[in-house]
This record gives sequence, C-alpha cells and structure tokens, in this order.
Amino acid sequence: MGYEPLVQQNPLRVLNMSRENNQMGLVMARAGLGKTALLVQIALDAILRGKRVIHVSIGESIEKTKSWYDDILQVILQEHTVTRPHELIDMVAQHRMIMTFKEAAFNRSRLEERLNDLVLQDIFRPNCLIVDGFDFDKADRSDLEDIKNLLESMNMQAWFSAISHREDERVSPTGVPAPCHEIDDLFDMVVLLKPQSNATIQLDIIRNSGEQVEGGKSMNLDPTTMMVQEG
Amino acid sequence: MKKDLKKVRNIGISAHIDSGKTTLTERILFYTQRIHAIHEVRGKDGVGATMDSMELEKERGITIQSAATYCSWKDHAINIIDTPGHVDFTIEVERALRVLDGAVLILCSVGGVQSQSITVNRQMTRYKVPRIAFINKCDRTGANPYRVTQQLRDKLQLNAVMLQMPIGLESDLEGMVDLVTMKAVYFDGEQGDKIRIEEIPAELMDEAQAKREELMDAVSMFSDELMEKMLEEEEIPEEMIHEAIRRGTLALELTPVMMGSAYKNKGVQVLLDAVNSYLPCPTDVENTALDLDKEEAEISVTNDSEDPLVALAFKLEDGRYGQLTYIRTYQGTIQKGDTIINTRTGKKAKVGRLVRMHADDMEEIDGAGAGDIVALFGIDCASGDSFCHPGVNLSMSSMHVPAPVISLAINPVDNKAQINMSKALNRFTKEDPTFKTFVDHETNETIISGMGELHLEVYIERMKREYKADVEVGAPQVAYRETITQQADFDYTHKKQTGGSGQYGRVAGFLEPLEEGEYEFVDKIVGGVIPREFISSCDKGFQRSLAKGTLIGAPITGVRATINDGSYHAVDSSDVAFQTASIGAFRQGYAKANPVIMEPVMKVAVEGPSEFQGAIMGSLNQRRGVIIGTFEEGNYTVVEAEMPLAEMFGYSTTLRSLTQGKAEFTMEFATYKQVPRSVADELVKAYEDQKKDA
Repeated sequence: MGYEPLVQQNPLRVLNMSRENNQMGLVMARAGLGKTALLVQIALDAILRGKRVIHVSIGESIEKTKSWYDDILQVILQEHTVTRPHELIDMVAQHRMIMTFKEAAFNRSRLEERLNDLVLQDIFRPNCLIVDGFDFDKADRSDLEDIKNLLESMNMQAWFSAISHREDERVSPTGVPAPCHEIDDLFDMVVLLKPQSNATIQLDIIRNSGEQVEGGKSMNLDPTTMMVQEG
Repeated sequence: MKKDLKKVRNIGISAHIDSGKTTLTERILFYTQRIHAIHEVRGKDGVGATMDSMELEKERGITIQSAATYCSWKDHAINIIDTPGHVDFTIEVERALRVLDGAVLILCSVGGVQSQSITVNRQMTRYKVPRIAFINKCDRTGANPYRVTQQLRDKLQLNAVMLQMPIGLESDLEGMVDLVTMKAVYFDGEQGDKIRIEEIPAELMDEAQAKREELMDAVSMFSDELMEKMLEEEEIPEEMIHEAIRRGTLALELTPVMMGSAYKNKGVQVLLDAVNSYLPCPTDVENTALDLDKEEAEISVTNDSEDPLVALAFKLEDGRYGQLTYIRTYQGTIQKGDTIINTRTGKKAKVGRLVRMHADDMEEIDGAGAGDIVALFGIDCASGDSFCHPGVNLSMSSMHVPAPVISLAINPVDNKAQINMSKALNRFTKEDPTFKTFVDHETNETIISGMGELHLEVYIERMKREYKADVEVGAPQVAYRETITQQADFDYTHKKQTGGSGQYGRVAGFLEPLEEGEYEFVDKIVGGVIPREFISSCDKGFQRSLAKGTLIGAPITGVRATINDGSYHAVDSSDVAFQTASIGAFRQGYAKANPVIMEPVMKVAVEGPSEFQGAIMGSLNQRRGVIIGTFEEGNYTVVEAEMPLAEMFGYSTTLRSLTQGKAEFTMEFATYKQVPRSVADELVKAYEDQKKDA
C-alpha cells in the first residue's frame, strides 16, 4: 500500500517487538522525552498491521490526544512519500478510538464497562490498548494485576507509559527504574527513553517477550516522530 | 469627539442555549439604564427581552441575530454584541468574535459546560478573545458553581479561577463573597439594584480563606511585585490584584470566574465591574488589516482616531428604518458627511445618519472614533466589507467562509410571494455569506443552501414573517461534490465543417487532482499552437464543465487542468469552437481520472447520561460514523464522531427515542470526504433513474 517507509522506520517493527497478544508493554522516561509520541508510534504500527487500537488518555482531552496523531502523521507525510495520504489518514481514524478518563476514575471496572459497550454491540473490537497517563506512583500491584487479567480475558495487548524521576534512584534487579521497579515482572516488554547529546532520543530495550535483554540493545530515534533515525 | 480608548469595551456574550444569555443582557441594559423595565424572555407581559429584536427569536426564545448595543457603566462605554447560541449560525458567531475585544462566557450552574460551550470556546480561542466566565442560574436546584469551575478546567482547558464564592445556593442564594476584597456582597431591593457590602459570614470564613489562597496563587504568576509581597507576607493592595488578573486574562492564560443569577438580579453589577477591570480595551488587542495595494500584505491598524478611517461592516439589518449597517472602526474617525470608500467594490459613499444602537431604539450621533461600534444608514454593501477614507486601501482580513453543505428547493405559492421571496433572498445573501441561493435551470426551482437544517428553517420562517413570502419547501439535499483522484491525459478535436462557417479546435493536456483549492488552469502552450486569444476560451470551457460532474451532476472541485498542445484553423477556429473543444477534452480526461463523489462530513458531539453510552455509539455506528472518542464527566458521557451529513437527517428524533430525551447533540461542518463505493453506486443509480424520468 505504499506505507513501507513508515513500517521500516517504526522502532517496534525494527525490534520485532509487540507481535503477541496478551502481552503488556511499558514505556518509561522522564517527563517530556516523548512517551506519548512513542505510544502513538506503537499504535500506528498496530494499525498498519490491521489491528484496532483503543487509546486511553488519562487526564487529557480527546482533542489533544487526536492532535498527537494528526501532528505525527503530518510530519510523517511531509518526510515520506505515501501514495495515498488520505487513505492512510482514514485508516488510522477507523482503526483507532480514543477514550479519556479523569485521573481518579480509571480502574478495571470502569474500563471494562466502557470496552463492553463497544464490543458487545460489535462497534469496535480492539486488539491493542494504549494507556497514557496511568499514575504508577499511586497504583499498587493489585490494580495492575486486575487490568492485566481483563486484557487477558479480552485477548488484547497493552502498552503503558510511566514517568520516572531523576532523583528517585530505586531500580529493579532487571534494570527497571521506579516507580515500576517492584512490578516489572508484570510486563513482557519494557523500553526506556533517554536524551542524547546530539538531540536524538535513545531507546533502550530492557526486556523483550518476558526475557531480560542483556547488554542493553538500543537505537536512536527522531525526537518529533519517534521513528528510527536514518543513516 | 476624542474619547479615552482605555475606557471602551467591545464585548460579546456567548453561551449554550438556555443558559440565560438574553436575560443577562437584559439585566445589564437595565442596570446601565439603557432600558427602564425588565421583561422576561418568555415573560408573561408578552413584550419579550429587548435584545431579541426579531419576532421569530421572541417566539422560539432563542437569539439568532447579533445586534450590537451600547451602554455605559461607571465611566466606561460598553458595546455588547449579542452572539447567537446555535452552531448552525456559526458564521454569525465568528463574525461577531472578529469585532469584539473580549467576551463573557455564560454557563449554567446546573448544566455546566455543555457541548455548545465547547464549540464557542474553541472559536474564541481561535480568534484569541480574552474571556470572563459567568456561572449563571445559581438559584436553580442542583446549582454547583464549584463543579462548573472544575469543568472549565477539564473540558475547556482554561485556567479558571474563582473570584467569588456563593453565599447560599439554589433557592437560598443570597449573594457572593468577593475574594479580592474579602467582603460579602448582597443585592437588595426588588430589582437587586441596592448593593449592600458586609463582612463575610463567620461560617464561610474558612472556605473563603482557602479560596482566596487559590486565587492568589493563580494570579501571582502574572505579577512579580505581587509575588514578592506574598512571599514577604505583606498586605497586598486590591489594585495590584486587579492588575494581575487583568494581565493574566489578556494573555489568555487566566479565566476569572464570576457567578450569580441574572434572573434573580444577583451578581450582574459586579460582573460589569469585572468587564471594566479585566477585559481588554481596543488598544490592548492587536488587529491586522490587509493592504490591497501590496498583494494583501498584513498591516497592523493603529487604533488612533487621528489616522485615516479603517472600518469593517460586520452586520446588516433590514429594520423598520431602512437598511442599517453595523460597523466597527479600527482606526480613524467616522463623521457625518464624510466620504468613505468600500474597498471591495471601490465605490464611494457619503455618510448620512450615524447612530448608536440599542436593540430597538437608537441615538443619533455626529461621529465615532477608533475602536467604536456604530451603525450607518443608507450605505449599500455586503457584510464583511471594509470602509476607508480616500487614500487608504485596506481591508480587514477576509473572513473564512465555509461552503454550504445542505440545500433545498423552495417554490413561492403565488405571484406576490414570488416578488417578496426575491426581495428576502437578496437581503439574506447580503447579510449572511454562508447562505446562498440560485435557480436550477433544469427544474426552474429556486434552491437555497446553508450550513444546516435549522439554518435554512430560520430563513424560511423569516421569509414568511418579515416578507410575507409563503413558500413550499422541498426535501433537504446534501451538497455532494465530485472530484478526480488521478492524473489523466486528454486530446480532443472539435470539428464541424458541414455547410456555413465551420468550427475547429484541438486541445490536449492533462487533468490532475488539486489538493487545495477548487480549480486551477495552467497554460503550457508553446509556439502558438493555440493562439493567445483562444487560451481564455479553453479556461472558460473547463470552468463550464466544472458546474456539473458526469457521475451524479454535482459540481466538480479540486482539479488542475493543464494544456500543453493543440491546433487551430485559420478560418474555422473561434472562441466558441475552443470552448466546445475544451468541454469535450475535459469530459474525456475526467472519465479517465477516476472520478469520485465527495460528501460533507460533520463533526458531531453527542452528550448524554452514561447509561446510554452504548446506545448512542450504536446509533452513530449505524449511520456510517467514525467515532473519534468518548469522555466521561460525572454521570455524563460525550461521544465525538465524524458523521456524513446525509446520515444525520432525523437524527434528533432517533436520539430522543433512544435516550428518553436525555441526550443532545451538536453538529459542525468538518470536511468533505469520499463517499464509500456502495453508497456512491446508489447515488449514481438514483441520478441515472432521475435523468431517464426527465
């Protein structure tokens, strides 16, 4: 369909990650490094593989979330030749749905209720859930286990984002920083974003398909689109 | 005639239907002594509120036209532009936003931020209009200004800060605590005109202290001086707080929240004080004009009354005194007897009567300085035109006018109605650039088109009432378009050489999709294979072809036609021959360029109790909608979707029965999109059947 450049430079495709259902992934970084942009890339990768994505935004508006997609797509379309840009834009719109929650209102039962509204009427059957803005500082293990069970029962994959703090030096034995250092075993994939001196972002893979990745496999990403840098 | 611009306020009042905008405006006019009695919108005395000057508005209890009204409050002159509340009249809202400098956003303390407020807020953000929020109807059961303030933050992403807190709520509403002065304010007397200021009731003191702290934290961001005093725990002068609030408001980084009940005469005077204190004066706002002598380069207007005049006609009205043109001056002074030039048409006009308008009364004036809003008599123009003094050729930036998305046929019932109808249509099209009309030559019917069903309904009603033109109305039609999706060559020869003078012309080149714009013509003829004088004939031929596509007869847009070859005959080639050849060439290229049908797609927001979320989404899904997202607000859910307009006819009825009347929706034009294959096939079939019947 002419989307090859997008596929080839998508970090997940390059890493061959995020292919299995029922897996949970985690993107960690300090504030402002591009967690949301990377989540959008993860969503786009799933959409290009024909999957349906629910993007859960906690504490953000629909409009703002949608503009993340619009902006990244626009940059991609400016930099890469795509034969039918409108088809790509329509395809993304049809395979993605945004759900916003207030900070305090996100939990398993609310999520399940809203997902069921979609699934039972066959309006939208998601394969992948993106959760942006989940507060790991306040959540405990059982909250996440609850959500993980729900995902398994609905046969969905999920990606979360989490903010790490410079001053908090706690880290799990596998290298996952706080606030997720005690629940890192719940995630099958964990990646870390770090700023580079040459204005790119480095993506470190800490864990893939449940296995710890030795020696820190990493790559450089474009800070605006979170696509793999060429050359 | 020199007036202190610092003491002029041009403000709009914007709100969701039924949040009490008209009542509030009415009270403002009462307290500023522009009117002498209070009438209710749906009052028993049958007079109706003063601002809704059109009968129809009185009947429906809604405000359609944005009349401008002048009043004064504590040595400040305030022009109020009453803005319409329904999105179908978006152009009216946007035009009003263009001429005002600040706004009061009214919210219902029970209903809170509803879908309409979201749309209006978005428009205000687009036009960079600083605003104050006024939470009205605090006397109603279920009133909760705290929740509404939180919604301003969550739903509208405004940095909303309460300047007041209520003393009592619902039927116990007594007054407000002013968090700047830390005093309690009560409104006594039958019409709330006696203001009584007292100490804050002891039981509210703790809460007031906490709210005051919130307020100070927010405003300290806008004043270093204030921040310093806070840190040193010094007494902070009131004036400094006002100044900081004003700074934050003008920068669009702070939204002061006021509250009260217009109906119960509580809080209106204090709101007027806030308008004076926090909303911008004309010189606080940067306005730009387009220099018509310099290819529409942007230029800032000066706001100086001594400079040559630049003014914008933003509203026409056909009142009982003849045509009235509302203008806003951006620089210079307009005076009786001046010669002014309409920069769109280049026509000169002489300023005759100049008036300041109060909804139905007027006051004669001799002149008006920069930043003012006044009305002129006897000037022929369309709304959106600019006026300047001779020697200046500026236009206030041309406003973005969306194309109409819906049309319907109207037929006058008799001869008299026919004459009145054309008068009415002539007037409406001048007043409202989104309302268009033309005669379909095939059916001989008059077609009107606009931005939505209600938009057209209102004009049909006005035709009946104001112009006594009774018309029969056809079913509404969606304004489809056709366009091409790939490049295609054409090479067409038109030859007619049997008897009499012949016709000959050959045109070759290609058509290609045009991303932005409707049509472009590119001349790449070299060596004179088509003579100069016939190039424009080719252009004309293509343009004639655009009027009607071959798929369903809809207008064609988004095409670039390039000609690069051709041939002619010394005797038989003519303007007509090349036009005909180009029409043939277009048809040939069009068929190969994979033409498709486009339909208007609307941005729809449906809001209702959460238990109906599934039903609402189901109903949108059935109508070919793409659901963008959902958000929850307490027990309410809002579903946002992009819907084809063709599927939205009768949706309000469906929604009502699905949700026991508890959900509502708004709709705004978003874009044109390609119709899916199956629907396109049906449309083509229907068009062909109709052609057979004709």
